[in-house]
Amino acid sequence: MVKFRLPGRTVRGRWAFAYLTLAPVVAIYLYLRIIPISQTFIMSFYEWNLIARRRPFIGLENYAGLMRDQAFITALANTTVIAFGILALSVPSALFVATLLAKPRWLSAVYETAFFLPVVTSMVPATLAWKWILDAKLGPLNQFVGWFGIPPQAWLIKPELAIFSVILLSAWKLLGYNMIIFLVGMRNIPATYYEAAEIDGASPGQRFWFITLPLIRPILLFVSVITVIQSYNVYTQVYVLASDAQGAPGYVVRVLVYDMIENGFRFFRMGYASAEAMILLGIVLVLTAVQFGALRDRR
Amino acid sequence: MQRSLITLIALLALVGSAIAQKTLTVWSGYPELEPFYAHVAAQFEADNPGVKVEILTQPLRDYERRLMVTLPADSAGDILEISSAFAARLVQNDLIPPLSANLEALVTGGAYADFYIENASFDGTVYGVPLFRGQGALFYNTAMFEAAGLAGPPTTMDEYVEYANILTQRDASGEPTVSGWSLRLGGGGSGIAEKFWTIMHQYGGSIVTQQADGTWAADYANDAGYETLKLYVDLVNKDRVVTPELTGDAQGFQLGTTAMFIRESWVIGDIAAKAPDLPYATAVLPRGTISLPVNLYVTSSDPLASTFVEYVMRSENLRWLLANVGWLPNRQDVDYADIIAATPGLDGFINIPADQVLFTVPPIEPIDEIQTRMAEHLVRAFTDRNLVDNEAGIRAVLQTAANETNDILRRAGLR
Amino acid sequence: MMRPAALAGGLSKAPRAMRRRSPWWRLAGEEAILVVGAILMVMPFAWMVSTALKSPAEILQWPPSFIPENPSLANFVFVFENAPFARWLLNSLILAVSSTVAILLTSALAGYVLAKFSFPGRGPLFVVILATAIVPFEVYMIPLYLTSRNLGLINTMPGVILPFVVMSFGIFFVRQNVLASIPDELIEAGRIDGASESWIFLHVVMPLLSGPLSALGIFAFMQAWNQFVWPLLVANSKMLYTAEVGLALFQTGYTVDFGAVSAGSVISVLPILIVFLALRRRIIDGVALSGLKG
Repeated sequence: MVKFRLPGRTVRGRWAFAYLTLAPVVAIYLYLRIIPISQTFIMSFYEWNLIARRRPFIGLENYAGLMRDQAFITALANTTVIAFGILALSVPSALFVATLLAKPRWLSAVYETAFFLPVVTSMVPATLAWKWILDAKLGPLNQFVGWFGIPPQAWLIKPELAIFSVILLSAWKLLGYNMIIFLVGMRNIPATYYEAAEIDGASPGQRFWFITLPLIRPILLFVSVITVIQSYNVYTQVYVLASDAQGAPGYVVRVLVYDMIENGFRFFRMGYASAEAMILLGIVLVLTAVQFGALRDRR
Repeated sequence: MQRSLITLIALLALVGSAIAQKTLTVWSGYPELEPFYAHVAAQFEADNPGVKVEILTQPLRDYERRLMVTLPADSAGDILEISSAFAARLVQNDLIPPLSANLEALVTGGAYADFYIENASFDGTVYGVPLFRGQGALFYNTAMFEAAGLAGPPTTMDEYVEYANILTQRDASGEPTVSGWSLRLGGGGSGIAEKFWTIMHQYGGSIVTQQADGTWAADYANDAGYETLKLYVDLVNKDRVVTPELTGDAQGFQLGTTAMFIRESWVIGDIAAKAPDLPYATAVLPRGTISLPVNLYVTSSDPLASTFVEYVMRSENLRWLLANVGWLPNRQDVDYADIIAATPGLDGFINIPADQVLFTVPPIEPIDEIQTRMAEHLVRAFTDRNLVDNEAGIRAVLQTAANETNDILRRAGLR
Repeated sequence: MMRPAALAGGLSKAPRAMRRRSPWWRLAGEEAILVVGAILMVMPFAWMVSTALKSPAEILQWPPSFIPENPSLANFVFVFENAPFARWLLNSLILAVSSTVAILLTSALAGYVLAKFSFPGRGPLFVVILATAIVPFEVYMIPLYLTSRNLGLINTMPGVILPFVVMSFGIFFVRQNVLASIPDELIEAGRIDGASESWIFLHVVMPLLSGPLSALGIFAFMQAWNQFVWPLLVANSKMLYTAEVGLALFQTGYTVDFGAVSAGSVISVLPILIVFLALRRRIIDGVALSGLKG
């Protein structure tokens, strides 16, 4: 940063510009992010039903209540299973496809487009497409598994299968995104490494394991953690897929955000819902710390 | 000069009439009632030129949320249709004013039974005008009953279970294709709990009961609760009369995949629209049924708002409501006989014997949460095979849920 | 176990002929996997279109037919007649465009200032802005809802747009780009010539940022179009729904009208699809750049 020594107008003009442009942005951040985040934190220690005049301070009682709350525990368990399920399904497959696409192919553009298509489409229409596929009575998936002798399943009604369906859909949607990031990382690996290894008689598998994987490790870690963090906020897919016949959206698979919205906007327990939001934040922070820590471990 | 004067006068007149045009807003949480309010609005506007009535309906949950947000900010509609249970917290937090004198006179002047006046009042003051109620009754497919050799609807809980088994039709592997009795096994939490409650009521049970000292307590970890949950568990797992996968409820009834089910009166209109040739009838339940009163509340001090409510309560409009929408008007000094004669389905809802015991959702703030949490436990229990012939297991489930209910009540200061 | 470092030195000059070619069956196998994968990725869309063109009766057939017997646009007509779909798409567009413009503006300005102007507290300020990116939106959406209520913005379009006028990643991204590709000398040259700061920003910095800004713009547009939870919470009336919310609410209820819902989905997806096919390279590069913020 160059410190300029021109006297008078220019220097003042510069600072004026800096403050005038930064101040509104900072103000927006304060108003739309920093203050609301602190308010969530503070509200988690109070009890408020949105219309009462009294807002008693209750300390950690909301958090204690959450620990005993069967609905919250179910939501937390479901969300964790979904998040790590999406990780397990989307990251290795993305890595695999990226490896295949790392070398130029005749149809590369077509493949890239096809794999990236789910990423650019918005969540609701994509989920609705899957809702048809997963339909127990009419959907093609049951037709497909029927070819393997498996009887038709209620993919969206049985909770375990519904969780699997959410994972499947989310992984399908995320795969292309992860793949692209891996591809960029892989393309940064000098070709000479591979050439040298090839000449030395390394098989493609060995080349992947000993060259690609170590050099891609930071990106792999980054993508994995980001995938899990994003998946903890799962809501839209569940809302659309798991809305059952009685029109209760998202009821079949209770996830964290659903539970939070129910507590805040259905039962109007603002403090309780805020405590739940804080727990979600805690989980994200832990995962982020894991990512930083693991990245720092690089020799 | 003259032309601009005329233009000015015309403009002033336009502005003047715009100012003179008043708007009354009516809010409702039942989109199917929109035609009804429109019907009343037409009359009202005809008699009151310069007043426009704007009707806003929304799905119930969104509507309740909107009320919670707009009432404290004083930006809610002028006339609000709210269930008595939900309105309780609004009234208790001084967000809704008491009724004007003429409306109070209407309510307390014999047009409504005590049950409805109570559910529209708080602490002795009347806040709302009872409009309609959601009430449950049995819907049964008369053709299926006849084919199964059953003379009439079941009248005891034992008969319910027996008939359910007789009426179930099965495929080659023994799985039910037509359920003998469609029970609510999934869906929104409070719905599950309410339906469970309706059946438990036949055994004399209740989800929460107010004690003598004014506090509330969970009242289902007992024999009544046990009998009810046992009924569900057996019908789903042992007798295989109904399963979560089978299309049930109103849709199943219309499609012919269920022989009978318990629901509110709006189903009558639904059947008329979607399956008009369905051979069915309604019947009262053995001991009594749920009745959820919905009232009209007035937030505006403008006398026109109260007048509109009076229009809504006119006999001919309430009869229109019953005949065209299917929800049951609460006003008792109106003659509905010819409508009932034309729609036999209404029989199980209006002509109820005097010894029937009605129950309603209590006007306590956490009731929604209590029902939703209880439903979490119930839904898991319904399809749990380990609970078949397992009295201890069933009672344990109910006890766990009841403990949770009591915790919620305690937290809300009601216990 | 091979050490790339040890090999890199001496073997880059190895003759081409010595490089082993992959066996045909490996190449064929890889191609097959890619083809199957690509088909699986695209399959749901194909079904979406297929269902949208079917008649209600044909949809109820089992097993489901992939090619509609009598393709018709009846479902599309139904959607437009039974829902203010055009209005929903318009709302989504308004939200996306407003959000993108706001984000580009705030990110460009703040990113530039944070990169090129030194002042006390600059470091911590940047860290705080970045830190807010870690916090998921759902964590602070409740107080944000209450704030919107106090501003009277519930059930209004500004209320829907409100949270999405800034993006921490945008500021970070612009700052990175400014630091990497705009030398101080360029800016000083402008100052020596007597140009005002705003002139420098508009005529020196912005043109150089056009590439990254267009990538950021695409990213922001996609984010805003995808929003679901907030518009669902804030919009109380049908006319305010965005396409995402409207479509999701269109299908709740007793029966899912798959034909109508698929038609609605096709309509929602089509604009993005066309834009994607036209700007594929840009979009993918933009998203790739954004992904590598770590």
